Amino acid sequence: MKGEVVPAADPSLDYSIVAQGLMKSFGKLKVLNDLSVRIPRGTTYCLLGPNGSGKTTFIRAVAGLLRLDGGDLSVLGEPVHSVNRIYPRIGYMTQHKALYPDLTLRENMEFYAGLYGIDGRERDERISELLEMVDLADHIDRITGALSGGMYQRLSLACTLIHDPDLLLLDEPTVGVDPILREAFWRFFDGLVERRVTILITTHLMDEAERCKTVGYMRAGRMLAEGSPEELKRLAGLRPILRLWVKDPQASASSLEARGFEVEVVGGVLHVRIEDHGRLKEILERIEPSDLRLVEPSLADAFLRLSEEGLR
Amino acid sequence: MMGPTINSKRVLVVARRVVRQLKRDRRTIGLITFAPVFLMILFGYALSGEMSGINLGVVDLGGQDALRVHLQAVDDFDLLHLGSESDAERLIVEGRLHGAVVIRGEVVRVLLDGSSPQITASVMTEVKNGLLPRKGLQNGEGRGAGGELGAVKGGWLGGDGSVGRVSGPGSLGSDGDVGTSSGPGEYSDVMAVPEIVQRYVRGYDLEMMDSVGPAVLGLVVFFFTFITAAISFLRERTQGSLEKFMVSPLSRPEMVAGYLLGFSLFALLQSATTLLVVVLAFGVPMEGNPLTAFGVIILLGAGGLVLGVFLSNFAKTEFQVVQFIPIVILPQVVLSGVWWPIESIPAFLQPISYALPLTYSSDALRAVMLRGAGVSEILVPDLLFLVGFFVIAFGAATLMLKREVG
Ligand SMILES: Nc1ncnc2c1ncn2[C@@H]1O[C@H](COP(=O)(O)OP(=O)(O)O)[C@@H](O)[C@H]1O
Ligand SMILES: [Mg+2]
Repeated sequence: MKGEVVPAADPSLDYSIVAQGLMKSFGKLKVLNDLSVRIPRGTTYCLLGPNGSGKTTFIRAVAGLLRLDGGDLSVLGEPVHSVNRIYPRIGYMTQHKALYPDLTLRENMEFYAGLYGIDGRERDERISELLEMVDLADHIDRITGALSGGMYQRLSLACTLIHDPDLLLLDEPTVGVDPILREAFWRFFDGLVERRVTILITTHLMDEAERCKTVGYMRAGRMLAEGSPEELKRLAGLRPILRLWVKDPQASASSLEARGFEVEVVGGVLHVRIEDHGRLKEILERIEPSDLRLVEPSLADAFLRLSEEGLR
Repeated sequence: MMGPTINSKRVLVVARRVVRQLKRDRRTIGLITFAPVFLMILFGYALSGEMSGINLGVVDLGGQDALRVHLQAVDDFDLLHLGSESDAERLIVEGRLHGAVVIRGEVVRVLLDGSSPQITASVMTEVKNGLLPRKGLQNGEGRGAGGELGAVKGGWLGGDGSVGRVSGPGSLGSDGDVGTSSGPGEYSDVMAVPEIVQRYVRGYDLEMMDSVGPAVLGLVVFFFTFITAAISFLRERTQGSLEKFMVSPLSRPEMVAGYLLGFSLFALLQSATTLLVVVLAFGVPMEGNPLTAFGVIILLGAGGLVLGVFLSNFAKTEFQVVQFIPIVILPQVVLSGVWWPIESIPAFLQPISYALPLTYSSDALRAVMLRGAGVSEILVPDLLFLVGFFVIAFGAATLMLKREVG
């Protein structure tokens, strides 16, 4: 974010991606509208946003696949117009199915290994290691087109990692991957980040976004909010909510409102917004609930709130 | 920017992938190898008949109006107006004309294929009639002269070895040029003026397949390489693999070169089978070096392939690729002299003919197969044009890949 401390000497040195005021239109549609992002090296950065908000377009811009209408963009210290020089260091997993359906898993991986000049024993070792990681080792000679959605995504990730890139661009990589394996992915990503690999990921899944160090929320080509998941929740003005099951919700609600609490009755349950944890006791002294639960706001709530604001 | 350097290892990686994909695609392999054979056989049967009527070239350099009018009035003559005597000679050698009449003032030269006595007689009779004072003109005396031509020759399949055989009277040069028997023959006795010079050009039995075969060979190979390359490359784009491997060290020229190499294996196979069918099954002559003919076909196929890659940029679906056929293939079928000489195409369309690769491959293949031409004889303009076409299409294909990026 703007207020962050930037290393004095060469800012791009410690940022994998520096984007300033990116503009891109397709016809009349402004897909990137003054978009600025800085992604530090060795971090996981999650781009979130509704469909059509420009996430894929931004990733394509970073990959050098887009002619920008304006703005500055550098990737791993290289200006975007010569980004092909650092292609050997980028791993790009596209949103659509980019592998060859008529090749086997091994053949697909050999193709991508070959493009990066990896061959011989090194290649074979790397392939089996990666397929092991994505739990596809048993399927190595199957035809790619016959894989299930989740298996395909896993293979696609393995192909993207074949050359051990420094910057990973993952466009919705976990679609169709089951939660257990997704957990394994994230542990693997954490391992990569420890080795200073930068991961830019787009996803629709909030729980995944919560695992990223930084989340950027895009809408209509703009960055609406950016920060750690916690920061974003605070930014959205979200507070924990205390849910109380009581005998007479209306009466309890009025009594709490009289003391300045924000109260809502949802399906016979009191929802009290907690501004300050010190006042919990005050509530519990007033009413005697049969049951209660403290609900922390989710990132989803935060984005819901943020996009409502964005619309206004 | 992407340097012009080409890493041959990466080209091989792409080629290997293309081969692996095609190898698994039985139907396409079948299409590549057998469809041309099938097509050639179809053409072969369809074209195995003799030409009806007599195809006579007219090189009109002025004079002898009566003769011209007379020749036009003969029903059995299909006249083709030509610019020069050498054009006429070439077309006779290629079996596309039975003969030609060159009118130049006081001298009338008659070039004849010489393989059929009936045609020789009929042409000479009509030329003589045309030069006589008007009297016999309207009575249809000369009509029907070529009427029985259909029965003249047969045996198109399993060739009887008659192909390329020198026939007709006169002494014949082994270089395929001419045998001349000029001067006062029996015909010139009839008229003192003008003089008729009769000349035999070494031609073929007029089986259509002989002259059309070499050209169709090119057409078939061009068509199949074009269409398979265009569709495969379109798939790269629509399935997103193009986008993925563009973000890799693979440069665009390497990508196209890899495609070319991978496909060339199959193009070789295809050219070989088609060539074999044309020569062995249909007895189309192979006077020249088969490797030279093979080289021409490969060069043309390479051009078709990169053109396919280039044009695939303008299609969004396979269906749209198919829509290129009437645009790219049909004009070549009609205008490149496969069926009839370019000289017979209306003048305003001829510039298009001379911009089509098939025009040059047909010319080169006829030269090699029918006239036994060597590389040096087809270098200009045929090979030069085909190489130029390939280079330009290759450049356009790589440039287009660059532009494709939004
Ligand atoms: N090549 C293109 N041509 C025209 N419109 C495009 C193109 N690429 C993307 N768009 C449009 O730009 C908008 C943003 O697309 P995208 O970046 O894919 O969104 P997201 O990935 O966030 O779902 C969409 O409305 C999409 O239709
Ligand atoms: Mg997207």
